[in-house]
Amino acid sequence: MSGKVIDIVKSGGKRPTETFDRVKLHHSIKAACLSERSHDGAADSTAEKVCDAVIAWLEERPEVTSHDIRRIASRHLTRHNPGAAYIYEHHRFTI
Amino acid sequence: MTEIIALSIVCLAALIHASFQLSISTLTLMSGHSIGNGRSHMRLVTLLGGFVAGATTMTILLVCALGLLLSYLIVGEQVPQVLWAAGCGLLFGVGIAVWLFYYRRGKGTMLWLPRQTAEFLAERSKKTKNTGEAFALGLASVFGELLFIIAPLMVAVLSIVTLTPDMQLLGIVLYVAISMISLLAVAALVSGGHKLSDIQRWREANKNFLQFAAGTALFVLGFYLYVNEVLVTPVSTIGSML
Repeated sequence: MSGKVIDIVKSGGKRPTETFDRVKLHHSIKAACLSERSHDGAADSTAEKVCDAVIAWLEERPEVTSHDIRRIASRHLTRHNPGAAYIYEHHRFTI
Repeated sequence: MTEIIALSIVCLAALIHASFQLSISTLTLMSGHSIGNGRSHMRLVTLLGGFVAGATTMTILLVCALGLLLSYLIVGEQVPQVLWAAGCGLLFGVGIAVWLFYYRRGKGTMLWLPRQTAEFLAERSKKTKNTGEAFALGLASVFGELLFIIAPLMVAVLSIVTLTPDMQLLGIVLYVAISMISLLAVAALVSGGHKLSDIQRWREANKNFLQFAAGTALFVLGFYLYVNEVLVTPVSTIGSML
């Protein structure tokens, strides 16, 4: 992504819009993979691939919602680790 | 009511308590964050232990506190019918609430709880790093579900209070041990290395059954107690007077 700034509109519109942060996305995907008992290296590698795919999807979009990011990341994560994708997508619906 | 019937009621009430899911949801979330942050297995096991100890402690405190409160309303060796009627009313009311509202519609295992309570527990489960915090989270998760567990808790306590002291102790131990079975099972699965997604998928796939079973069990228990403690007792009393 050539230094392009993408705004992320937060769910519910209560919190302010923030800039897309690859590190934050990487961290959350890696955490989902680790919680599925993946090894650290494999989790890191999967998170890299998913981040790349999400950034490619973002190329044509100046503004997206955090829900969109989660949906697209989850879709790509399913190909690499279905269990982690389930946890990533559903952890907000646990309680 | 004989001792064996009283203890059977305690066991059924505890099983109903065990079918409620807030503590399990909180435990699952806490485990997910702990494993996801790369904490060691030993740390995970101590967190799980702390959480279960907290939930157990709160259950014991609730049983004993409710027992103390209700004992002020009991004169002699018999529980007043009005208390049994209130307990049955709670069982029917909570049974309907469980049938209709226990899980929110949609995906996942979201519970019908005040959202602030749910968000607080979710946020705390993310921030839980040591055993003391896990213990407090266990306490809070049981207290947060008081709206639903109050019904089985009350009839269990009403069954326990008229027993002899040693039987009362047995009743409390039985209630706490059985009500913690589901939590202990999930804690054992997580600490045994099972995937959280498998556990959560199972919970989501069976949530309607669990909801129906809990609501039905509340109704069955309420009906039994209403017939035996509210309807039959005055009839037998009148019969003995004649």
